[in-house]
Amino acid sequence: MKPGKIGIYLAVALLIMGFSYSGWQAFVHSSDESANSDVEVIRLAHWQLEPGVREAIDEIAADYMKLHPDVKVEQLPIPGKVWKQWLRTQLVGGNPPDLIEVANYQITDEMLARYFVPLTGYLEETNPYNADEPDLRDLSWRKTFSAELVPEETVHYYSHNLLEYYAVPNAMVTVRVFYNREIMKAALGEDRAPQTFAELIETCEALQAYSRRTGQPILPLAGSIFNITKMTASFFSGTTQKLAINLDYSHDLNLTTFEGIVAFMRGRWSLDTPAVRTSFETVSAIGKYMSPGWVQLDREDAMLQFLQGQAAMLSTGTWDAGGILQQAQFEVGAFRVPSISPDDPVLGKWALGPTSEANIFASLPFGMTRSSKHPARVIDFLRFMTSRRSNAKFSEMSTWLPVIKGVPVPKVSEAFRPISDGYIAGLIVQNYGSQSTSIFNQNVYLLSGEKASADAYIAQTRPLYPKTLTEEMERVSKVFHDTVRQKDSVMTGLYELNREAGLAHSKFDIVAAKQLEVEAQKLQAIRAIAEFKAKNEDR
Amino acid sequence: MLIQDLTTILARRLRPLRLLIPALSGALIFVNVAAAQGPVLNEGWELLARYLYRDAGQVFEQTPSTNTRLISLGRAASLLNEPPVTNGKIEQAEQLLHQIVTGESNDTTALYARYLLARIYHMHREASVPEIEAAYRAVLQAGPGTAITQIAASHLALVLLYQRTDLSLDQRLGLAQELESAAVGPALPEVAMSYYRLLADASLFYERVSPQVVDWLEQAHAIGSVDQLRQIDLALQIAETARAVGQAEKAQKYYREFLANAVPTDQRYNTVKLRLHELEDASS
Repeated sequence: MKPGKIGIYLAVALLIMGFSYSGWQAFVHSSDESANSDVEVIRLAHWQLEPGVREAIDEIAADYMKLHPDVKVEQLPIPGKVWKQWLRTQLVGGNPPDLIEVANYQITDEMLARYFVPLTGYLEETNPYNADEPDLRDLSWRKTFSAELVPEETVHYYSHNLLEYYAVPNAMVTVRVFYNREIMKAALGEDRAPQTFAELIETCEALQAYSRRTGQPILPLAGSIFNITKMTASFFSGTTQKLAINLDYSHDLNLTTFEGIVAFMRGRWSLDTPAVRTSFETVSAIGKYMSPGWVQLDREDAMLQFLQGQAAMLSTGTWDAGGILQQAQFEVGAFRVPSISPDDPVLGKWALGPTSEANIFASLPFGMTRSSKHPARVIDFLRFMTSRRSNAKFSEMSTWLPVIKGVPVPKVSEAFRPISDGYIAGLIVQNYGSQSTSIFNQNVYLLSGEKASADAYIAQTRPLYPKTLTEEMERVSKVFHDTVRQKDSVMTGLYELNREAGLAHSKFDIVAAKQLEVEAQKLQAIRAIAEFKAKNEDR
Repeated sequence: MLIQDLTTILARRLRPLRLLIPALSGALIFVNVAAAQGPVLNEGWELLARYLYRDAGQVFEQTPSTNTRLISLGRAASLLNEPPVTNGKIEQAEQLLHQIVTGESNDTTALYARYLLARIYHMHREASVPEIEAAYRAVLQAGPGTAITQIAASHLALVLLYQRTDLSLDQRLGLAQELESAAVGPALPEVAMSYYRLLADASLFYERVSPQVVDWLEQAHAIGSVDQLRQIDLALQIAETARAVGQAEKAQKYYREFLANAVPTDQRYNTVKLRLHELEDASS
């Protein structure tokens, strides 16, 4: 073969290779497109089986499908008891629904990073489904939410470690005390909800006297750990607000659990600190009116006690409101868990006033999974779902509180409206890590019944807290360590992606700054543990 | 036969171009591969940025090797967190980074590799405090005035503030403050802001509230953040710290700034109003 022919053959071969390469690329893209050309199915999963929620989502989905006939929205309500296993199977199996309800106690940062799409960028764009709302149409999607999705320590829609929004809430929930109006009228002579802690105690006293007088076995409060701890958290918080300001060594009016534990390890507070002791006294004051053995009861038992008229009051989240109103054979009222007044001569010394509920209870947050075949469509549906019009519909049908600015609170939910002009939270001992919660749950019987006693509770649990809180600090330190370590890889990626466009204020810059702050906390934790152990060894 | 004839005709007609066509085609393929490597590398960086370490590692391993040092950097960064994290993988990452650094000039890749080595000593394996300190100082020496230096200086400040237990608090704060010129620069304003906050937070952690803390926080505030919420938090922290050291006017100014910029549903909003009124009443 002549050398000239070799060149020609080589040229033809190279051209064929070049075209094949381009053709393959085109084929890959066309395959993706063909998958998208069918009816777009959006599957949405959650565990909210309370009456009204599924119906509201169905209605909103129907509205959306009417607007977009090529889209099908499928709702997958999964019972709470199997949710966790179901969720893991779906995620690991690689074919999860497009939208999943997320909660930070079920979905770790690693799971968010692996299976969910960050929504931060989308939230900074406007929501086109608010185009007819003059006050909302120019706002970013995030700012259309009532509390503008400010990232608090406890929220589900934002990951503090990953620095991204991963979900969009659809409702607000608060904790309220539901009561049987008929029993209340009979016992008090009028339908009057207590406004202060002192009035709550008077109400319990009157209900107990009524039960004795009439011989009816009516308890002032329905009990279960689930229900009562909703109420006690409020008492702990409301009696220790000034203490929280004193312990907040970072001086930002936000005593985090971390700071609270550091302060404990340094001996700045203990169960014997007057404000903390007072908080236990509020629990024992109310615990006197609880049924014996209530600690063993679960959420359903408490609900049944209330619905059957065996208990006059039930403390629970407003997610139960629809069910209560639907099933109760009596008139139901609701009131806020009474706050401790700063004017209360006994309990109010360290109180500022009611604790704000504005932002912490944004609920029913949906995150989008990475495997979604139609991410743009899914985002569009999420925007539709959280438009003012759809959120109003959701709120009206479910009786859950709206989460979008300007959506009216349904009349039936007026008593659930969050306290937005309240004060900072205090020190909630029962929530200082899972072990701390276990100590409280296992010993709260000492704070209930005829012999309820804060002294007895404190004497029993005093020796347990140092070890428990140290272990919690060690756990937290490990979480910080893992987070910081992961960021080293993440930042390398961000550095290479961001450096050509300029690093100032880039995501690399922001993540690097966050890494430094988390690393500082990790080192503080190590330091606090070391000092605490050294101090105890010296004794 | 037909193909052979066609080829013969093509060969005859295209003879003048016989050298040009292979050259052009070769160039086309080269451009295709080079262009493909860019996106493939980018895919690796994107996967890393999304916490998908194993997937990123696989991409780097399969990338055509025209820039081996950059690919090694990607592989090392992936190995640091590829599940399950093992000492063997950390050692492997360390070796890859040493290879990048050895015998090369201080280009960006080498500088970043030096920085990652310091991070390995500090956070990924047990190293002594002097070793960690020396590794960060090596980065400062190798690339002064760069973004990487800024971060390295800030991490070094943390070592000094919390791990040099042999020094007094004043000495620790003093040494950390000496890093100011390296840690604060226009390349990374958010990091510069954090550096001042780290100094202030360390002082507060050790329960030393002083006018110096207010100064550091104000310096952070002056740099500013794109994150509006971060800036709002800082205003409140300055107000509270100023109040604690008796700078009532400054405290009022920053309380007002917080109230002007925070959403009224912020949990601290009402408490700030209360504390501002207390100061206003005291000063009137």
